[in-house]
Amino acid sequence: MRLALHAEWTKMRTVASPLWLLLGTVAATVALSAVATSVVNCTARGCGGDTTKLSLMGVYLGQAPVAILAVLVISGEYSSGMIRTTLTAMPRRATAFAAKAITLTGVVAVGGTVAVLGAVLAGRLILPDLGDQALSLADGPTLRAVFGTVLYLILIGLLSLGIATAVRDSATSIGIVLGLLYIFPIISGTISDPDWQRLLQQIAPMSAGLAIQATTDLHSLPLSPWAGLGVTAGWATAALLAGGLLLRVRDT
Amino acid sequence: MTPTVTPYRPSERVGRDGFLQVLHAEWTKFRTVRGWTVGMMAAALMVVLFALLVGVSSNQKGSPPVPIGPGGEPVTDSFYFVHQPLAGDGSITVSVSALKSSIPKAPGDLRPGTVPWAKAGLIIKDGTRQGSPYAAIMATGSHGVRMQDNYVNDTAGPTGPASAESPRRLRLDRSGDTITGYASTDGTKWTKVGTTQVSGLGSTAQVGLFVASPPAVGGGGTAGSVSTATFGDLRTQGGWAGGNWTGSQVGAKSPTFAGYPENAPGSFTGSDARFTVTGAGDIAPAVSDSLPTGGHLRNILTGTFAALIAVIVVGALFITAEYRNKMIHLTLAASPRRSRVLVAKAIVLWAVTFVAGSVGAILATPLGLGLARGNGVYIFPVTSSTELRVELGTAALLATASVLALSVGAIFRHSAGAVTTAIVAIVLPYILIAIPFMPASVSKGVATVTPGAAFAVQQTLVPYDQVASNYTPYYGYYPLAPWAGFAVLAGYAVASLAVAAVLLNRRDA
Amino acid sequence: MYKNQHETTPNRKLTPMSAAEIVVAGLRKRYGATRALDGMSFTVRPGLVTGFLGPNGAGKSTTMRVILGLDAVDAGTALIEGKPYHSLRHPLNHVGSLLDAAALHPSRSARDHLLWLAHSQGLAARRVNQVIEQVGLTSAARRKAGGYSLGMRQRLGIAAALLGDPPIIMLDEPFNGMDPDGIIWMRGFLRSLAAQGRAVLVSSHLMSEVQDTADHLVVVGRGKAIADAGVADLIAAASGNRVALRTTAGTHAMRVLGHAGAAVAATGRDTITVSGLPADRIVTLLNQSAVPFSEVSAHRATLEDVYLELTRDAVEFRAATQSEVSR
Repeated sequence: MRLALHAEWTKMRTVASPLWLLLGTVAATVALSAVATSVVNCTARGCGGDTTKLSLMGVYLGQAPVAILAVLVISGEYSSGMIRTTLTAMPRRATAFAAKAITLTGVVAVGGTVAVLGAVLAGRLILPDLGDQALSLADGPTLRAVFGTVLYLILIGLLSLGIATAVRDSATSIGIVLGLLYIFPIISGTISDPDWQRLLQQIAPMSAGLAIQATTDLHSLPLSPWAGLGVTAGWATAALLAGGLLLRVRDT
Repeated sequence: MTPTVTPYRPSERVGRDGFLQVLHAEWTKFRTVRGWTVGMMAAALMVVLFALLVGVSSNQKGSPPVPIGPGGEPVTDSFYFVHQPLAGDGSITVSVSALKSSIPKAPGDLRPGTVPWAKAGLIIKDGTRQGSPYAAIMATGSHGVRMQDNYVNDTAGPTGPASAESPRRLRLDRSGDTITGYASTDGTKWTKVGTTQVSGLGSTAQVGLFVASPPAVGGGGTAGSVSTATFGDLRTQGGWAGGNWTGSQVGAKSPTFAGYPENAPGSFTGSDARFTVTGAGDIAPAVSDSLPTGGHLRNILTGTFAALIAVIVVGALFITAEYRNKMIHLTLAASPRRSRVLVAKAIVLWAVTFVAGSVGAILATPLGLGLARGNGVYIFPVTSSTELRVELGTAALLATASVLALSVGAIFRHSAGAVTTAIVAIVLPYILIAIPFMPASVSKGVATVTPGAAFAVQQTLVPYDQVASNYTPYYGYYPLAPWAGFAVLAGYAVASLAVAAVLLNRRDA
Repeated sequence: MYKNQHETTPNRKLTPMSAAEIVVAGLRKRYGATRALDGMSFTVRPGLVTGFLGPNGAGKSTTMRVILGLDAVDAGTALIEGKPYHSLRHPLNHVGSLLDAAALHPSRSARDHLLWLAHSQGLAARRVNQVIEQVGLTSAARRKAGGYSLGMRQRLGIAAALLGDPPIIMLDEPFNGMDPDGIIWMRGFLRSLAAQGRAVLVSSHLMSEVQDTADHLVVVGRGKAIADAGVADLIAAASGNRVALRTTAGTHAMRVLGHAGAAVAATGRDTITVSGLPADRIVTLLNQSAVPFSEVSAHRATLEDVYLELTRDAVEFRAATQSEVSR
């Protein structure tokens, strides 16, 4: 396993695209958060909403490069045929797959942390001085939101890895991942029945997972922050299992 | 030493040199990869399936009916009405010396505020049934004197607010179906504000004073308001039955009426010459914001987003697969004029996607509308030509998005980047628009300059000058006209196709 | 094996200018600091199989891509029948090429692959069936090309090259990955194409692959042609006029032949190489002087020798020699 990890890490660091995609994640997250915090109407009493959630809004965009990175980790090997080399060198496919997942987790954790902290910093600088309502990592719910958002990005990466392993084509995988993420909130916005709306928000990987960013009005959420992240984790686990199983049983 | 040989010459072939051949070749390429045809069929299917989902999941059974105006459009017809019957012709005159509005800051905490379209004046209406024909002349919060009839018609009269120092005198005459409104700022000089034909008033109409107060718009939402007007110098002429004035709340229960703020019900006091009337609601065409339970055609076509992702993937793969397989070498060796190849690909892709999108949208619309209506959902009415525009516009949107993905794919020569760029460029703007607290200026800007502007082709709602509302993309009002919004996306597609052509010609294959 | 579907126009007059089908003149191309092509010039003539030989990285594939208008050059021209490739109306009627047998969409069948290509030239679907039969792929034509073996893909690539019935056929490393049967088939096939009067250009990095097939050789190294000649000429030039002699009386023989004006060199314990005298004269002289000998034979250089000699300095990537390693 140690050897497999070393091999995967070497693969990851010796091509330029992962670094660029991580930088893309940071840039996209911070940029969208900065835009969101600068356009909101704030008064001395507050900004009419959850400022923590608002500052972390950049992950709506920042998760896209994470998804591409995760998809390319495996589908890049399929399109070049390198997957055969990989599986010849590491015949235990479960080990090879786990090594990929772990390496991806580490890389996204680092990039995601930088992105999320950058977004919070941008929010602090841009939002007007809110006194004791100012964003602070010392605040329990805010810390949970920040930490949880990094976990969310990792889960999105793992979900994408699982789907890409099952699908084996990068374009189709990215389409499926972005579809899963973005289409649920669009449908739940147009469905008028509140029960259906709530259900969709509870099962959608993005809407549910981003409940982890809520710091106010927790009782009005369709599900609690950690339960929401749990839903996303469920999606990621299911995708990884499906991908891992197909990798084991299929010819390459 | 080389022997003399006869070089091989194929027999001369009469063949047209042409773009049509490149087009034919690209069509053959497209239809012979099963994944791509499946992708297109999936896109059409998504549009239909989501329409079914939206239709099935909506439920408005048992809610009060939406009032419909004489023109067939949904209306708000909820106001406080102080009235008497008028048989045949006659006229009524009144002066409005105050119109004060209040907006709640918190439940039970009413504060004075400005409601630009608060209305107080005279109305002649065919009874108190919601949606019945009417004509009215009124003083407003900040739009001066107006004469309005049948919900959608609005004529401006003298400007300036009504006050004790400068009351607005109003007069309404009925002569058959002809209603004429007059206004005066000094009581001596009268100006005719407007004359209108109102059919369906009946021989005996209800005529009198009214106050309406539409919700105050702010911060991306609305807050119910209430207004109180002071009337004086009430005089009548003609076929009046006489007797007491009756105070009624028209349209107390209505999907287009949010009700009165807490502890501020509609009322009237006074008699004969002087009245104080308090009312809420509006007499106006319904808009998305005032009829929140109403559905639009674009809701039925939510599947456009899923279909977009499918056609973007296929569009990008149509060119990037050639690069990945190096088949581009063969393609360009067979057709050395490279721009032609790219244009042929774009045409084939656009046409195929347009057909798939049209089939999807044309099937989805009646199915989704039928299911939603069956579940009691009121759908904002559209003409059949508008419906066709939405359907074909959606197909054109999908087709153009796939060409954008193709162009980006030709520029990147890599499917992952191309797919992500195209999806983020078209779908993300919509998600940003859908965030309720986005200021209107930002969401309008996003819907003007990004490729997401093309969703305007699904717009079926019309904004009204005489209704203050959130006319933002979130509520279904796009800053650009349907085809202008589509032109923005088309502009992006054409520009990126041009860049792709330049690069394709300049780069080694 | 190849049945000509179109009769050659018999009364066509040939001018010397039209004799060369491909004329490559002074091609230069750089990728950054690397000179991929450095004055590449040669011609390809009809009725001959021209071998395009050189070590890996010598510029063979780049030259072929330039001929097909796929890559741009910094200087020089590559003309097909006197015209640049991009000006051809139906290019596949002039040049059929196979650059990379793997260059196809894996989920498209062989027939559909050829069909789109035919449509791009305005050719009828009938022609697709003809070339499929010609390369012997009929039974597999409706299967997805992704499942083909390398040999089958090569045949499919050849079918694509033949589609427009072109007078010029250009194949990049067609023997790569072929089994012995396939190689024999390919050689016969190339010969038959040339016999019909077509110009055939076949690249390879191994002399042995084209040795028995090519009539003419263009040997390249470091981005330019270092030899452009007929196979017989090349061998003759390398062989000289030498005769190998096997004798136990080496000293005597050398004296006799030296007197007769030949250049003589001992190459082994009982072998001598003689140049400057034909073999029959040598036999007469030795018999007159009663010198015993067991064998007289004309010395022939192999093409392999010629190739190695020519490309010795031009090899870009060569394993370090023993002496370099030990240093």
